[in-house]
Amino acid sequence: MLAFIGRRISLALLILFGSTYLTYQLAAYSGDPLAGVRESTDPNKEVIIRELTRTLQLDVPPPARYFLWLQKALGLATGTPDFGNTVLLRFPVIDQISAAIPITIRLLLISTILAIVLGITFGVLSAIRQYSRLDYSLTFLSFLLFSLPIFWVAVLLKEFMAIQFNDFLARPTIDLASNLVIATLLAVIITGFVSGTRKRVLITFGVSFSTVFLIFFAAGATEWFRYPSLGIFGITLLGASCAVGFTHVFTGLANKKALGAGLTSVALGAAVYYPFGALAGPGTNYPLMLAMAILMLSSSYFVGYFFTKIDKGPVIRVSMLSAFFVGLFTVLDKLMQTWDTYYELSNGRPIETMGSYNITLQSNDFWVVNLDLLTHLILPTTALTLISFAGYLRYSRASVLEVLSMDYIRTARAKGMPEREVILRHALRNAMIPLTTLIAFDIAGLLGGAIITEAVFGWRGMGSLANEAIVTQDLNLLMGTFSITAFLAVMATLAADLIYSTLDPRIRIRK
Amino acid sequence: MATNFRKKKNTAPVMEGGETGSENIEVVGLSQGQIIRKRFFQHKPAIAGLVFMIFFTIFVYSAAGIHLGTEANKISIPGWWKYSHEDILPQGSCADGCPSPDHPMGQLPNGRDYFSLVMRGSEISLMIMVVIGGLAGLIGTVMGSVSGFFSGIIDAVMMRFTDFIITVPVILIGAVIGYNVGNFGVLPLAVFLGLFSWTGLTRLVRGEFLTLREREFVDAARVAGASNRRIIFKHILPNSVGVIIVSTTLLLSSSILVETGLSFLGFGVQPPDVSLGRLISDYQGEFIYAPWLFWWPGVIIIAIALSINFIGDGLRDAFDPRQARRINRKDFLAKSSTRDAVNKRK
Repeated sequence: MLAFIGRRISLALLILFGSTYLTYQLAAYSGDPLAGVRESTDPNKEVIIRELTRTLQLDVPPPARYFLWLQKALGLATGTPDFGNTVLLRFPVIDQISAAIPITIRLLLISTILAIVLGITFGVLSAIRQYSRLDYSLTFLSFLLFSLPIFWVAVLLKEFMAIQFNDFLARPTIDLASNLVIATLLAVIITGFVSGTRKRVLITFGVSFSTVFLIFFAAGATEWFRYPSLGIFGITLLGASCAVGFTHVFTGLANKKALGAGLTSVALGAAVYYPFGALAGPGTNYPLMLAMAILMLSSSYFVGYFFTKIDKGPVIRVSMLSAFFVGLFTVLDKLMQTWDTYYELSNGRPIETMGSYNITLQSNDFWVVNLDLLTHLILPTTALTLISFAGYLRYSRASVLEVLSMDYIRTARAKGMPEREVILRHALRNAMIPLTTLIAFDIAGLLGGAIITEAVFGWRGMGSLANEAIVTQDLNLLMGTFSITAFLAVMATLAADLIYSTLDPRIRIRK
Repeated sequence: MATNFRKKKNTAPVMEGGETGSENIEVVGLSQGQIIRKRFFQHKPAIAGLVFMIFFTIFVYSAAGIHLGTEANKISIPGWWKYSHEDILPQGSCADGCPSPDHPMGQLPNGRDYFSLVMRGSEISLMIMVVIGGLAGLIGTVMGSVSGFFSGIIDAVMMRFTDFIITVPVILIGAVIGYNVGNFGVLPLAVFLGLFSWTGLTRLVRGEFLTLREREFVDAARVAGASNRRIIFKHILPNSVGVIIVSTTLLLSSSILVETGLSFLGFGVQPPDVSLGRLISDYQGEFIYAPWLFWWPGVIIIAIALSINFIGDGLRDAFDPRQARRINRKDFLAKSSTRDAVNKRK
């Protein structure tokens, strides 16, 4: 095993050397870094050119210059890695990158997690109900999402989710005609998820249509979108429905222990609603929030643990998931209470189309600052989630279908195991193994940034650094961003191989 | 089992034996090719996609005409549409350049006819798509076959080379081409992109070859004295043709999106030429004032990519009706070819 890892790492280093070399040459021959200076009308142009040629060592031909770069980057001479300075403003490349990394992670982490969770959930559903209306709808949806250019989606999102929504917030009432349209659309989507007889479909359509219609009618009448809140009542209601839902999925509603544990967690969450509101004031900080989240989750773990004596796993899962969602709703409620303040601070344009945060925001309130981050995140995250969602949907569907045709699934069914258990204990676990590879690659790709998305939404993350480096012929900057991305990509391949062989005993690493 | 009649294909070539017993088709049985064709034609979305692609291609090429070569020696066959995409025209019947009978997709602020631009752009996008897909499909198949069949040291070297190519960023390739050979037009761009897009398919074909070469019919052929060449071309390749066709199709749909993304960043198709991606990125700012400039190219890209995805899905169902292949890590890794495409699009 150690020999294998050692061999793979040395190979990975070799690949890294090769690809950085090739990239360096490609980039060096893709343009003239002095083009901007040459065209300028600066009287001491010659001096600048000479100076730049000296500092960038442009007199050395690129194939050899790479080694000068490599020597500095590895820190062979000084002991500390030095990626050089950017050409234009002479900032150290390292500083640029360390400023860009948190932005990129913020941009990609949420969308990656959302895409993974939603993609796998719907992929599994789609596979279990193969050739149902749900399956066809999701297949069509995923193909549609596969076919969308992301910046085209971005323009649409900017128009409809930001500009028009902001306009709507100025007069947040919903007229009858648009309410009917919304209700019909949502009802059609919800109906797409059920299958069965025509009667059942029609009933679902009717119920969801009237529910949506009533909700939006109430929201419009109370100007909910302008003054949103959930309140302790809303949180308890939503939390309880989550608990019931998770119980239904993981154990079946017949399992009163699981239902009881889930509902207890929800009650616990509701009980700390007011203490939380008092504790998490404007001056709160991340460590405090994290501590509270950990406290909430661990107490829900014990709720699940002590609620039942047999088969604790699913019960704990239900109780922890319910607690997680109650916590999420509580935080959401807190953010909603801040919405009005933020609305005023952002001059009535809360959903932002550009940038990663509002530079002119005048507030130190923890909640206002975070709401600001969220309103900037919402468009790029939606766009990225839509694009990546389709991939996870297709792969988890294919993977589950493959597993469901296995003999051990037939055996599990034949011995009388309930279908829920067959899916959850036998099918899902095995179907998720191949997906770890994808997840490993995606997580490694996080730091690479999303060049197009960052460009469209004006984020200064790793993607836009790379883009800028190519546009301005900045070799140091390009090589700095690229080395990190390539390193992570190579390591992800290795990590994927190792994780895979640990999870799947049939795959053995050759000695 | 799917795999059984796959094997049969080796002895019964695709086109044989259908017409002779057509009145008695149930008894005679269908050849592998016929089964695939039949299954494909039952897949309605795929047929819709195929019909759309055929008509759209004919429509586009006949409307815009065919223009080949560089500025210096150009071969041009004019199409049936009355304007060329380079004409600067007086303002039509609609003042803001909005769609009118004379200009069905509207006009640009400088008077150009948008319909001819969109047609020319579609032509170039389709061309790029086919070149990238074809080239990457060819290289991927060859690399994957060799790597999977010979395994051992050849395999290790080739797979590490594949890993190496994966790390080279596509955008950089676009930039290099744009700077050095930008004036030669779009063909070099497409060729170079094709030269770097074969990695996913290679892994996939390799996985397929690794599985198939362990099968009994390959052993049988080897025992009978067949050469490596014969085993590859007559025994293994025909059995993996499904995988190759399906993933090449998906490669086509992802390459049109890669071109679009590159053009958006300014590294793809360069100004005198137009492509669908170029058109959207040039006129996305007009979304509020002249929305037709934004919608038409976007809808066409989506229609093309969607049709091809459906054709690919239909082919997959046709070649592999049951998803009963054994889980194979290499195979699964290879499926990430579409995954790579998704990441490139971000």
